[in-house]
Amino acid sequence: MLSEDDISLLAAAQALELSARDIYASAVSRKSRSEEEQGLLELMHSHHTAYEQTLNGVLSKRAATERNADAYTKFFALLSDSSKLWTTLLELENTAIATHTAIIARLTSAKHAALLASITTIEARHAAMLASLTSTNLDLALENTAQSLVTQ
Amino acid sequence: MNQLSRRELLRLSGISLASGLVLAACGKQAGVVDDGAIARLGESPSTTALAEAEVTDEVLLRTAASLEYNAIDTYTAALGLGVFTGDLAAATNVAKRFRDDHQEHADAVNSLIRAIGGKEHRCANVRINDLYISPALALITDDKNENVGVDVVALAHALENLAAQTYQGVVELISDPKLRADAIRIGQQESRHAALLAQVLNPGVASMGPTNDPTTGKPNIAAIPAAFGSQANIQLTVGAPKADGSRTTLLLETPSLNSLVYDSVSC
Repeated sequence: MLSEDDISLLAAAQALELSARDIYASAVSRKSRSEEEQGLLELMHSHHTAYEQTLNGVLSKRAATERNADAYTKFFALLSDSSKLWTTLLELENTAIATHTAIIARLTSAKHAALLASITTIEARHAAMLASLTSTNLDLALENTAQSLVTQ
Repeated sequence: MNQLSRRELLRLSGISLASGLVLAACGKQAGVVDDGAIARLGESPSTTALAEAEVTDEVLLRTAASLEYNAIDTYTAALGLGVFTGDLAAATNVAKRFRDDHQEHADAVNSLIRAIGGKEHRCANVRINDLYISPALALITDDKNENVGVDVVALAHALENLAAQTYQGVVELISDPKLRADAIRIGQQESRHAALLAQVLNPGVASMGPTNDPTTGKPNIAAIPAAFGSQANIQLTVGAPKADGSRTTLLLETPSLNSLVYDSVSC
């Protein structure tokens, strides 16, 4: 049985994943990339869809029904510059990782902390690959300087 | 009055005889001196009981620290081999950077251990070394192996995955939520390491996600192999081809009860 605080935290994680799903859906729909890059965008979109759906299942009737509007607005605006596609998605991934990690630090349920942990290890891989598409700078692929959207 | 047939009488006496032999073998007999001359079943040498070992936050963090030293030692050994040449020339700087990252992780984890009043651990996990790393390095450095450089990268990739899985796995076991977050922060960077090394082994955007070898049907190494972080064993195929053309595959698993670094374990 999840505590009220845990429900709120997991709902915040789900709302952010809803935003990520929709941002990726927008990137996929533009069809402005090569076939291989399009495949990568579709893969990452499918992952964020899976994260949102999993958290929806965990929260059941208490699940978030709306995406994180602030995050969606910010990243959707950044997507308007097609030359910044990869850096925008990199920042989105790093923001999701930072946010989920801050949530892990506050969740009382170890089981659900482990679920978020398994999501962040793949989002970290997303981030490393997105960074490698824009630069050979290892710091960009390895470091996460994004801020969490929830307080720690 | 019941009457026993000759057959039943023989069967009953047989059972009685067998039971008597079993009882006689199991117990000492009065008046018989045991001079140890006759080996007997049912006795074993005395044993020393192991110390009580509890899986605490400290033990889990000490185990994570030990894996960092496994990685540091492996990168040091890899750099010492001098095999990052040609197409792998850029791997030298990557290996140095990753080794430095693991040293930072080790320091960070030991800092967490000290903060909870535990004993820091500053050496590699012996069991992980004996089970996986030493056998892998022996196969890789065999004179008949012509792919030393690539195999070293494959070993590093497997160890990064092992470390990432370990940190992910301990999140559910650690009792303090803040420590869980501290642990997975490091696990996330191990995942980034693994993804970048996967691209060295199987480069290109098309290979970032899961693909299969068209000949064997087996999954290729991928930077992003699945939607959720795996806890399955890690396959590492290295070394010279055997007589049948296949190469040796080692299966790496995250530390379990017999490879945790308990309080009684020291360097």
